[in-house]
Amino acid sequence: MANFFRLTKNQHVELADGRTVTVTDKLGEGGQGIVYRVRFDTCEERALKWFFIGYLKDPQKFYSRLQKNIDDGAPSDAFLWPEQLTKYVAGEPFGYVMKLYPQGYESFAKFLLAKVQPQSNAAWVNAALNIVDAFKSLHNKGYNYQDLNDGNFSINPTNGKVLICDNDNVVPYGEESGILGKARYMAPEVVRGDKKPDTHTDEFSLAVVLFMLFVGYHPLEGKRTNFPVLTTKYEKRIYGENPLFIFDEQDKSNAPHETLHKYAPAMWNNLPSFVRKTFQRAFSQESLLEGRNRPLGQDWFNVLVRLKSSIVRCPFCGEEIFLESDAPTTCYNCKRSIKAAGYLKFKSRASQEVTAPIFRDAVLYDYHMDSSSKDFLTAAAVVLEKPGKFGLKNNSRSKWIVTTPDGRTFTRQPGETQVLVADCKIDFGNGSSAQVIVNN
Amino acid sequence: MVMKRPEIPRKMCPVIFLLDTSGSMDGAPLGAVNRAIENVLPELISMNNDNPDNEIKVAVMTFDYDAKWIVGETELLSPDDVSKSWRDLKATGYTSMGAAFRALNDKLSVSHGFMQRASGSVAPVLFLLSDGEPTDDYKAGLQILQQNNWYKIAVRVAVGYGEANYDILREFTGNEGTVLHTNDTDELKNTIRFVAVTSSRVASQGSSVSPDDPNANPDDNTQTVANALQNQGGNLNAKLDPEDDF
Ligand SMILES: Nc1ncnc2c1ncn2[C@@H]1O[C@H](COP(=O)(O)OP(=O)(O)OP(=O)(O)O)[C@@H](O)[C@H]1O
Ligand SMILES: [Zn+2]
Repeated sequence: MANFFRLTKNQHVELADGRTVTVTDKLGEGGQGIVYRVRFDTCEERALKWFFIGYLKDPQKFYSRLQKNIDDGAPSDAFLWPEQLTKYVAGEPFGYVMKLYPQGYESFAKFLLAKVQPQSNAAWVNAALNIVDAFKSLHNKGYNYQDLNDGNFSINPTNGKVLICDNDNVVPYGEESGILGKARYMAPEVVRGDKKPDTHTDEFSLAVVLFMLFVGYHPLEGKRTNFPVLTTKYEKRIYGENPLFIFDEQDKSNAPHETLHKYAPAMWNNLPSFVRKTFQRAFSQESLLEGRNRPLGQDWFNVLVRLKSSIVRCPFCGEEIFLESDAPTTCYNCKRSIKAAGYLKFKSRASQEVTAPIFRDAVLYDYHMDSSSKDFLTAAAVVLEKPGKFGLKNNSRSKWIVTTPDGRTFTRQPGETQVLVADCKIDFGNGSSAQVIVNN
Repeated sequence: MVMKRPEIPRKMCPVIFLLDTSGSMDGAPLGAVNRAIENVLPELISMNNDNPDNEIKVAVMTFDYDAKWIVGETELLSPDDVSKSWRDLKATGYTSMGAAFRALNDKLSVSHGFMQRASGSVAPVLFLLSDGEPTDDYKAGLQILQQNNWYKIAVRVAVGYGEANYDILREFTGNEGTVLHTNDTDELKNTIRFVAVTSSRVASQGSSVSPDDPNANPDDNTQTVANALQNQGGNLNAKLDPEDDF
């Protein structure tokens, strides 16, 4: 039997469970294999990833690991997980079938190339939250990804749903996939060769992805990293040995390049201070050189929900902006300054401050109503504005107890609106409450 | 409306073809080359559409009586632009390979060649096609080229056809794993395409696959492509039905 690296149209491939699929088309090709469109006898379609086994140090072990991942099941819906392996024949190539990419998703690469734009800030923040969520569920299952990069996930620009693809490098914690990853997305200690990839280094890659998602550029590529040619030596220097954040607070020597990274300052300044601070922590020298004090997935989660509830429209030009809770924000579009009358201050979560500006149409989510909720999609309250006053409409399913500074209490049922006055406290039930803080 | 995202700056991944258009290539072989290039360009376009790290830019030189830049004389072009302006090559004359190496050396420079790019570049792909013995002093040209730092880190690949001198092609690539040879015109088209596409993919994507040998020089991009040609190849000798050839 021929040792076939590549499959041809109409070729039959036997799966481990005895069923066969027929190759109908080629979908794409990567560094590790080719992906074909295949069909079952039932006409059901799948994608078949077919490996270049020459790259695998131990094909049989790789095969068994994939089998185990299949048996364990996907960490969450966000993963396009392997479904079924092809039959194993020693020395011959193999692959696995998975679902085809569903409609509506665009590769992250296309967003970076500005070929696709997110349709709203909410969709964009949702995408970030979905990525953080997916990695949390992956790590909770005891896996790490090891090769998170711009080629591994797709985003739906309308709602921010995320699809994590290319899951064959996922390995149980402590094991190595044998994949080096792209230096651009790797933790500096891995680039330097000090450490093997693990969940901790995955968290770093996550921060890089989040930065590229929001700022559009790479956090370590600034004016001093602009070498005429990228060789391993420079790659090591930029991402491993001598890394410096382009928005480092102390050292500005790697600030964005004037023309190459022209829009970086505007993109950066469009983010509220608490997001910028979190990035500064993620890419501090401490984090880059010693791997210490990095924000964790749960930190990002809380920061991002806070970001989501800061989305409002500029009252002057109507553009979507992220509004600071307690400081003026300059609209990126009309350049006018906007300041919230005050904000709601919640109990912190996982040591992250939780606030939401009191500004027309600002939204609170189920997350804000229940201290154990992770739901950032279900709107539970909205800020309303009438001449001379603000109100918070209860769109949740629980009644709220409101306490005024002088000690009076009211109950607000779902559907009712509470007028917001200085220092009054709203108890949303389920362990969550917030206080109205007036600015200035 | 929301704030529009900028396009991330990409490094250039130069893909440079040196094509032998001496008289002996006339007819079917050159036809195969023309079809192969036509087929390679869309693949390069689609690689560019999906790669936020690097952007492939193309130059094409022919050599016969002399070396001539058909594409990229002043500036490397996107595969899209090349594809729009591509005209079939004609064959005539000798095999001035030494002149080709010298002309290439002149261009492989940031200050006076076509390697200038604000955001920098990654290692280029140097693709050599030949079907016969050089008729000039190839050696002197190659020696100059071998001093060029871009040549040193480049992905060097070669396809020989018919009477091509294997040893010279190997001397050019410095690696026997990236020299492929064929005597068959049908196969020539597939070989060019396979070598050009694989080397461009490896060069433009950067390898996320760990080298088999941890002591291997990570900047030996030619060896990386040699591995890829070996691991991703197969069936080059089979007469593929064009229907089946995705
Ligand atoms: N489930 C799928 N449905 C449709 N197309 C797919 C699917 N999986 C992969 N593809 C296509 O195949 C291409 C290669 O797949 P993939 O990125 O998984 O390969 P790879 O060898 O792991 O690549 P890399 O070099 O990034 O490691 C993708 O870019 C995509 O276009
Ligand atoms: Zn405005």
